[in-house]
Order: sequence, then structure tokens, then C-alpha cells
Amino acid sequence: MIFVADLYAGLQDGGREKIEGVAAVENNESKRVVLRLMGLQQGASEEKLALALQRIYKGKTQEDLRRALLGLPLVLARNAPEQQAQKIKHFLESQGAIVKISLPASQAASEPDSVSPGASPEPESGEVRQPYAGEERRSRPRVSKGIGLHPMGIGEILDRSFHLLRDHFWLLFLIILIPQVIYFLVSQGLRLAFTGGAAMSSPLAMGVGFGITAFFSAIIFLIVQFWAQGALIDAVSETYLGHSASVGGSYGAMRKRLGRLIGTMVLMGLLLAVPIGVFGVVGAVLAMVSGFLTAILALAGVGLALYLLLNWLMVDKVVVLEDTSWMRALRRSKELMTARTEDGFWKSTKMKASLILLLGFLIGFGFQLLFQLPGAVLGLLGKGSAVVATLFNMLNIAATSLATVYTAVAMILYYYDIRVRKEGFDLKMMAENL
Amino acid sequence: METSRETVTIQTPESVRFQYVLAGVGSRAAAYLLDTVIRYVSILSIFVLATLLGSLLPDLDPTGIAEKLSKTWIMALAVLAYGIVDLGYFIFFEAFWNGQTPGKRKQGLRVVRRNGQPIGWLESAIRNILRAVDIVLGFYPLGLIVIFFSRKNQRIGDYAAGTVVVVEEKWKVFQGKSRPRDTKSLIHPEIENYLTLVDPSQYQVLKSFLQRREEMDEGHRHELGRLLARQLLEKWKIPGRLKGSYEVFLEEVVALYEERKRAI
Repeated sequence: MIFVADLYAGLQDGGREKIEGVAAVENNESKRVVLRLMGLQQGASEEKLALALQRIYKGKTQEDLRRALLGLPLVLARNAPEQQAQKIKHFLESQGAIVKISLPASQAASEPDSVSPGASPEPESGEVRQPYAGEERRSRPRVSKGIGLHPMGIGEILDRSFHLLRDHFWLLFLIILIPQVIYFLVSQGLRLAFTGGAAMSSPLAMGVGFGITAFFSAIIFLIVQFWAQGALIDAVSETYLGHSASVGGSYGAMRKRLGRLIGTMVLMGLLLAVPIGVFGVVGAVLAMVSGFLTAILALAGVGLALYLLLNWLMVDKVVVLEDTSWMRALRRSKELMTARTEDGFWKSTKMKASLILLLGFLIGFGFQLLFQLPGAVLGLLGKGSAVVATLFNMLNIAATSLATVYTAVAMILYYYDIRVRKEGFDLKMMAENL
Repeated sequence: METSRETVTIQTPESVRFQYVLAGVGSRAAAYLLDTVIRYVSILSIFVLATLLGSLLPDLDPTGIAEKLSKTWIMALAVLAYGIVDLGYFIFFEAFWNGQTPGKRKQGLRVVRRNGQPIGWLESAIRNILRAVDIVLGFYPLGLIVIFFSRKNQRIGDYAAGTVVVVEEKWKVFQGKSRPRDTKSLIHPEIENYLTLVDPSQYQVLKSFLQRREEMDEGHRHELGRLLARQLLEKWKIPGRLKGSYEVFLEEVVALYEERKRAI
């Protein structure tokens, strides 16, 4: 039973609440249109949309808006300036809504492009901005038929991570190998430049030159590292949900989100560093008074750091897969990591994450050993040889990449598992495929 | 026997085919970790006991025999006991518990022969003695690489013994806390007229939702309940509004569907 509820009219009665901007340009002479919220995009969250609407209808509570969403489609504005309506449309569409703009009924009679009330909720592809790669998947997560998603235990998460790594080995391995290779090449280049001899005239100039180059190469490494991290999340997510992915495609999908990912990760680092720094300073002062108190404070500091790290374990996944960034991404990660989905201490979300990390580390270490052992033997046999040193370094890079990728894949699958348990992600997908 | 990526299909001489899900590295590592904890606790207990015995026995023994047993001998016996526990733990449990150790049982895993039959002492001994090769230098580097390339997730010990590790139960069905609805006092009795329109896959989704809704958070639970109920209402073209909540409606659909299925 679809009916048109005039939310905007109701809000007008309240007197204060109008669409921001609609009020600001009310005297503008531009074309007036009707703005309708027709429905939710596939897989979009009602809660997220209610939050977005609250930013427009400031006087309304979450509950009011959620109730209003039950009566879709809604008329958001009857007489809004077209330019402003377009802005609101774009904003709401980015939050998972299907919004339509049409001419008021009086003009519609003469204009064939108008949308009649109660029209089928289909997005007008011509008006929607072109989604960038991967965006469509996030707003409408597609799960290929035959892909079995269900709540998993720790063992099954790690099993599926292993299968995924085995089935898409080169894709995932190459994604994570790229920053390592870049770092290796940059560090080798620096080594040659600064140990090669007479390139610099004085030790001071050499030191400054080295410092500047090291600074820039560290920045480049950081960017490439985060890029690879995002690309890996994209590739694992695509393949896990039954789609194809490629190294170039996954790196490409991350291009527009890279800034937000780096920014959010740096913000997270700062938020972690501040309390730890405070603990450090207080600890240094206390050390002069009592060693015991310092030890207790150090333990508390480690506990706090672990707590925060576990809370923000999903931040990168949230930024890449949910298009959220900054504090909202940190909050969303905390929300996921504090979900109470199963009873018992050992089955709490954080404890499961810790066990997955521990087991992932152990298995990853096994992989690492396998690559490092031949390197170590080579190192012993050909001491001093540049070829052996390079080969040793390359084997080390491969070992580190393998160890990293396995745990990273497991954590991405765990992100989906939390969503499956907390949000019924799999059931939503199954329901939409019925 | 034919295998696919994650499962192994076994055909009996009577041409009966049954399928097992193969255990992967993750669940096996989790089981191994638990077994390791149990083994180390046992070994630690043996050493504590041996140390206590070494210091207390001479005082407790009036015959003086214990005097002759030096502490070194007691410790040697403890080391022997350690070896027996370390190796014997896996051999003993897998042979006696039908291919399971406490860790494997907790993870729902079982070692079986490639033809699906339970393993015996010989298979258990071979696969566990060769564990020393798989685990060389700790953390199973060889075992991991062999499993990586194995179509049946077998390590060297498994190849030698002709065994595979399978998952006994893929996942537990979450029963939920709410009891099934009584079909005698329904709010929407008219549902019965539309039950033929519910297909098995739709029933499966509804049932899973009702079983798992306690795990979900409030907002998503409400949203999903609404989505499922609306799908049914739109498909059935039922006029008017629901008398109860979406979940009550879904409970009634599932209860009536199950009742009808039982009757058939």
C-alpha cells in the first residue's frame, strides 16, 4: 500500500523546520520543483537515511523520521528552487535514497517530463551522477547467487580466508606486494646514492640530503601502503561476494577514497597517540616518586591502547566499503566492534577479533618462515654478495607480504561476519534476491 | 572419490554418495592451539608433580627405597612422560575418539580415512609421527605449503596415512530464544489462504530471520522484518494494514507454513 505522505507540509505547520537552503533562497526567481523521496536503494540502511534526513529536518527526532520512512514515498518539498532541490537530491542519493524531482502539478499538465505521485520508485538514471567504481556495490551490495553467507565461527572465518587466498593468490599477493616492492626499490636507491661515495661534498650536506629523501620516500611509502590496504579490502570484498576483481581495478576503485582513508587513518593514529602520550608524561613524572605506580600506569596505558585499537579495528573497512570517513568511520567501527551478537566472554566481538588476529599471526608466521628459511640459508652461503643480499631481501618482502595478506583477509571476512550477525546482511541480500 | 574445492564426496561400495566439508587451515589451527594448551598444562602438571615427588618422597618413604631414586632419575621419567604426552596425546585421542582430539571436538572436526571410514591406531600413529616433519622449526611451514597445494587440504602426515580432516558440522543452527507461535490463536488467520505462494527459499529466509533476530540490533532487526513482511504483502496483494508488528506477522507465516508442511 503506497501512499504519498506530505512530510514537508507537516513540517511547515511546525513553523520553524524548513529544508535548509530552501528557506535561504526562497526569494530566488529560479524554477520551482517538487522533491520526492521515492524509496531506498537496494541494501541501503533506513537508519542511515533517517540520520541524513535529520540533517535537513533539524527539528525532527530520529524516531519521527524513521516512522515517516515507513510511509514511503514522501513529498520532501512542494515548491523548492530547482538548484537547491538538486543538491538535496544528490545528498540523499549518496545516503541510499531514491529521490525524484518533478514539476508542480500546475505546470505538469503542460510539461510531459513530470512525475505523478505514487510513480514506481525507480532512480532516474539520467539525473543521478555517475557512480565511481565500486560505489554501486557499496550502496547496493550485490551478492552473487550461490555465495553462501552465514554467521561463522573463528575457525570458519580463518578457513574461508585461506580458501580465498588460495583461489585468488596472485591478485591478493600482488596488491600487497606492490608497496613493499616500491619501498624496496626506494630504499635500495637511497642506499646506492648515499653509500656510493663522492656524491656529496660534506657530511652535513649528505645528512640533510638523506633526511629530505628519507622523509619524502616515507611519505610515498605511506601513501602507497594505504592505497594497497584499501585495494586489498576492495578486492577481498568483491571476490568474497562472488564478483571478479583485478589488481588495476581494485587500485583504481580506491583512487577517489584514498585521501579519506589516509586522513581517517592518520586521525586514528593521532587519537591513539594523545592518550598514550599523556600516559607517558604522567608515567615519567611518577617514575621519580614510585616505580610501582609507574608500572601500574604503564599497564593501564597498554590496556587503553589495546582497547582503542580493537574499537577501531574496522575503520579501514568502513572507509572503503561504506564510504564513511573521519569521526563517523571511527564511531561506526566502534559500533561494529561493540556489538553483542553472542553470549559469553570468549564469543564477544573483541575477543573473537583478538583470537583471529592471534591465529592469523601464527599461520602468517608459518608462511613467513617458509620464505625466510631459504633466504637465511642463502645469506649464510653467500655472505657479502650483492646478488645474494638482493635475493634475501626479495624473499623477505614476499614473506612479509604473505604473512600480512592472510591476517588482513581474515579481518575483512570478520567485518562481514559482524554485519551478518548484527545487521542480518546475508538475510537482506537473500531477501532482495528472492 | 571426487573432490571439489571445499568438499569431498565419498562413494560407498553400495553406491551411496555422501559429502563432507573439508577442514581448512584456520579451524585446524584453532583446534591445534586448544590441544597445545591442554598438552602444555598436562606437561606442566607432570613436571610440578615430579619436582614435588623428588623433594617429598625421601621423607615419606620409611623403607629407604626412594633414597636410591635420585632426583635425576625422577626428572628423566618426567621427560619420558613429556614425550609420551606430547606425541601420545594426538595418537591416543584420535584412535580412541574416532579421529577427534579435545581441540578437534570443540571445532567440530574429525579425521577420517579417504574412503570415509573411521581411522584406527595405524593411521593415527602415522599422521601424528609425521607431524614432526610438517611442524619442522615450529608453526607448520611445510604443513602449510603442502595444504596450500593440496586439493583435499592434506598435510604430509595425511598423505602418508591416507586420511583427511573433515568438518563434522558446518555451523550450528541458532535456535533463538523465542518459542514458535501457536497457530490456534492467530492475529492474521487470512495468511493461510496465501501459503501456497511461499516458496521454500522464502521460508528459509523468514525462518533464519526469526532464529537470528535476537542477535541483531534493534534498528536492523526492525528494518529487515519490515522488508520481509512488505515483500510478502506486496506479493500476496493483501489489502489493509497489519494488525500486529511485522515480526508477529512473520512468526505466523512461518508457523502456518511449518504446520502445513507437517500435515503434508
